Amino acid sequence: MSNPVISIQHLTQTFRGATAVDDLTFDIAEGEVFGFLGHNGAGKTSTIHMLTTLAPPASGTAVIAGCDISTDPMGVRRAIGYVPENVRLYDALTGRENLKFFAKLSGVDDPAKRVDETLDLLDCKDIADRRVGDYSKGLRQRIGLAQAVLHRPKVLFLDEPTSGLDPMGIKMLRDIVARLNREFGMTIFMNTHLVSEIARTCTSIGVLSHGRLVYHDTMKAVTARYGDDAALEELYLSLTPVGRLAGAA
Amino acid sequence: MTSYSATTTIAAHAVRLALRERMVALLGLLFIALVVISAWLGWSATSTVNNIYVSAAAFLTDTGQVVPPNPVHNISPLSLMRNMVVYVALIGALSAIVIGNRLVALDRRNGVVPLISIRPVTRAGYALGKIAALVVLVGALTGVAAAISAITFLVLPQTALTGAEWLRLLGYFGLSATYMLLFGLLALASAAASRSESVGLLIPVTIWLALTFILPSLTANILPTAAINPIAALAPAPDTAFFHWTQTLFGPLSLAESYKIASAALLDFLPAGRGGILPLAATGWLFTATALSAASAAYALTRMDRTTGDLDV
Repeated sequence: MSNPVISIQHLTQTFRGATAVDDLTFDIAEGEVFGFLGHNGAGKTSTIHMLTTLAPPASGTAVIAGCDISTDPMGVRRAIGYVPENVRLYDALTGRENLKFFAKLSGVDDPAKRVDETLDLLDCKDIADRRVGDYSKGLRQRIGLAQAVLHRPKVLFLDEPTSGLDPMGIKMLRDIVARLNREFGMTIFMNTHLVSEIARTCTSIGVLSHGRLVYHDTMKAVTARYGDDAALEELYLSLTPVGRLAGAA
Repeated sequence: MTSYSATTTIAAHAVRLALRERMVALLGLLFIALVVISAWLGWSATSTVNNIYVSAAAFLTDTGQVVPPNPVHNISPLSLMRNMVVYVALIGALSAIVIGNRLVALDRRNGVVPLISIRPVTRAGYALGKIAALVVLVGALTGVAAAISAITFLVLPQTALTGAEWLRLLGYFGLSATYMLLFGLLALASAAASRSESVGLLIPVTIWLALTFILPSLTANILPTAAINPIAALAPAPDTAFFHWTQTLFGPLSLAESYKIASAALLDFLPAGRGGILPLAATGWLFTATALSAASAAYALTRMDRTTGDLDV
């Protein structure tokens, strides 16, 4: 693969002796929208926690934008943005106040100006001066996305970004992700268990099952080989034990 | 971003958030109100005695009798602030606990620990930012108390302080800030290490209760009701084998007692027979305990779980 922006080498995570992520090795090229598909408990979030330097790996490592997560976590943090599954911000502060704090913390030169630009970019200026505690799930997700892209990261990690959103919210988020990828060249690493999301948004796909990577390819190759969304779903179900169980039933 | 500016951003943000908290504002105001009351009590007592003396002196002069010296001048003017020692040990320490708890619990309750941790901020930078915020807030509370005390002494014409006395007053407020920080740092450590917000608050409050009321009654026979009396709290313990052993075993841990003894020495109201090396030892224990408390806060903050940071309610 030419110019990988994420290079994962034998990444492993264990919790109290149980293996959550098992010897992951794969690369993601710059500018890709990578969909990380897997059942609940497959190890997707544990992988993101290691890649975002929130948790140290048990063994193995990863290099993100040229920085090793174990030896240069500060370099990694400068290069990434992260939106957790349930976006949590300071409820008592307004969206703008939250963003200004995170912009300062990210080392942005003119935080107030960058916050305005980001609010414009994500089309949420109208809600910026309301308390975050009063936001709906969808608005919270948008401000959550805004805090992740304030410093224009090279890589954006999204953990189940459409979880709990209504169809309108899902479409809006999908459009924003596509725009960030197109306009800023951001590489997107998106955890999801929704096959339809992968088919609509991603340029490459990885399937995780019980901590192991069981499939990794470009969406073009997947489509050429398996056809439409329904075929992708079939592929996913055939790769995961949960899916095989459902198929047998 | 340099680690210095990240630490400054964390500290400034934590101070702003804590000041928005109703409980912090309420306890801070209560502490300031008690400082004002303490200053007013000192001013009122001195003015009353002085007024009576002036009337009596006029009468004695008119009747040709000898006028004795003004009793106001027989006691150290600094001792007028003795009530403040109790207020710091009670409300001051409690305010510091609430401040310390809020500084960390607000991040954890709002679930923003992961979002802070993926920024270019080291764990040590985060811990230092929170400790700096605590120092600023406790310093501000003590600073306001010091300013009120200074104004009180300046408006009392009968009690002009010497240079040395001003220094002792400054030393007393330094000691008070250290004592409050001891509890604030414990609260920081507890809020970072506990899974639940209520447990995070209960642990330092329990330690505070034990240090303020339980240990002094074991080591110095000071009943809880006497602990709020600045003079009774300084009476020597009965000369019995029990108190000899409890003082040997728990004396260094009885930090509220140490604070009162060191403060009484600085403010010149230590009862006769309780001087010597005792105030110095008490000050030493306080600084050692505060250093240990700071180390525990730094340890807990740098080892806090970053993946969720959430609290069980």
